[in-house]
Amino acid sequence: MNKSRRRILSICIFVFGLTGAVSTAAEPLGKVIYKKNSLYNSIFVYQNGSIVTMKFGRKSGVHLQSQVDLDNPQQHLLEYTRMAFCGLLYKPDPKTMLVLGLGGGVIPSQMRYYFPLMEIDVAEIDADVVPAATKYMGFKEDENLKVTVDDGRMFIKKQLRKKQIPKYDLIVLDAFNGDYIPFHLMTREFLDEVKGVLADDGVVIANVFFTFRLFDAEFKTFLSVFGRGQAFYGSYSGNAMIVSPGAKCDMLTPQKVLERAGQLQQKLSLSFDLTEVAKMLRPDAQPERKAKVLTDDLAPVNWLKEQETEEPSGKNP
Amino acid sequence: MQNQSSGTIHAQGRHLHAAAIILISCVCGWFMMELEILGVRVLVPYFGSAVYVITGSVIGVFLLSLSVGYLLGGWLSNKINAWIELGLVMVAVGACFIAIPVIDEPVCTMIFNTGINEQWGSLLASLILFGVPTVLLGTVSPTVMHWLTTQASDSGFNAGLVLATSTITGFAGCIVAAFYLVLYSLRMTLCISGAIMMTLGAVVLVTFCWRYRNGGCR
Repeated sequence: MNKSRRRILSICIFVFGLTGAVSTAAEPLGKVIYKKNSLYNSIFVYQNGSIVTMKFGRKSGVHLQSQVDLDNPQQHLLEYTRMAFCGLLYKPDPKTMLVLGLGGGVIPSQMRYYFPLMEIDVAEIDADVVPAATKYMGFKEDENLKVTVDDGRMFIKKQLRKKQIPKYDLIVLDAFNGDYIPFHLMTREFLDEVKGVLADDGVVIANVFFTFRLFDAEFKTFLSVFGRGQAFYGSYSGNAMIVSPGAKCDMLTPQKVLERAGQLQQKLSLSFDLTEVAKMLRPDAQPERKAKVLTDDLAPVNWLKEQETEEPSGKNP
Repeated sequence: MQNQSSGTIHAQGRHLHAAAIILISCVCGWFMMELEILGVRVLVPYFGSAVYVITGSVIGVFLLSLSVGYLLGGWLSNKINAWIELGLVMVAVGACFIAIPVIDEPVCTMIFNTGINEQWGSLLASLILFGVPTVLLGTVSPTVMHWLTTQASDSGFNAGLVLATSTITGFAGCIVAAFYLVLYSLRMTLCISGAIMMTLGAVVLVTFCWRYRNGGCR
């Protein structure tokens, strides 16, 4: 991808929002059915027909968190929620899952639909997001799907303090809003703590944008903690999923990924084509050589998320 | 004629000293706000980024410590030479800046491991890590105001001048720390800031001693 195309894509991402560019984002989001200034966000919920959108911030068009079609809740309207299923390619039968960042609750809701018995923990710092997701986005807590209102890092620290430390098969890191990325959820020390609650055959995935230098820094930080990592690159949203498997979980070749995607597609009757997600894997992708590992001491994440990458570093579709 | 000339020189020296002492209060204002901004970065990895860590613990402890510092500074202003006090304060605050990166992890981890909740945990950690340097920095304004004030009618103007200039540099320190220093290592920033404070404090003390020996210091 040349630099001008990259620039155009970056602008599109800026316009369409941090947590996922949406094919429907160019269309009006509809009328505001809920708004609240919480401690952390300005939460807006829009409805246009059966499409409900949760957005943080007042700027038009940016910071889309989640989008659902109430008439067809299994449909993925945002590319990144489909991409979050890439974790299943490494761990096809997860029993436990941890999601940091609820938003509209699409990822836990979808996982609950396909895995009715899976134990799912969600940590969300903003107490006002939970009722909004429940009332307007179709999100439901149940006996095995629990939301804890807490900072993601504190949630994991508290899990680590337990005598019997819970281990998760799938961990999804998605605790961003549009304007601000909490630095302490991207550092080596944080990922060390994540590693402490990851099952040996589990997998951790993080949603990041690959067109900004933050991606390279985060990818490098993952490699420094987990030793291994792969990345899936969204085809139009600019989202990337960095995937690092636990000690007893294998890295996958593109052929193996496609094979597993086909098997899972049949087994789960997914509402979208998982093989399309599988094709997003770039096995040769590496972070930029000059990228620095993020630490609690040095993590200029909000500056890095504004810096476009200069070199493709083998990650472009 | 001779007396007039001597009086002019004395007045010029007085103005120079006044500028220097206001500059010291400005420097202290800058580093106080820098510490407040960096203090959030120190605590967040251990206690999370919830609002109470930032607003309650860090800002709350700074306000409390400053009020203690103001009282202490007002009391000390009649008991100790202003230049000695300011020099010692700067050296001690610089040492505290350098100590924070060394003790933050054991202090915060120990507090977290007691099981105390994040609200009180972060408040306690903030008090331990930032309480002493902020109390010391709080002593600066009353000391400087006292030194500047030679007659009661000037007290209001001097208080306004000191508060305005130190608050403006505090604003600058706040902006620089939040917008630019975040791009650099937190520990390195604290250590360099501490070294600068200690050096400036040492310069103030040495200058005072030198002038004292020559009989020219109030």
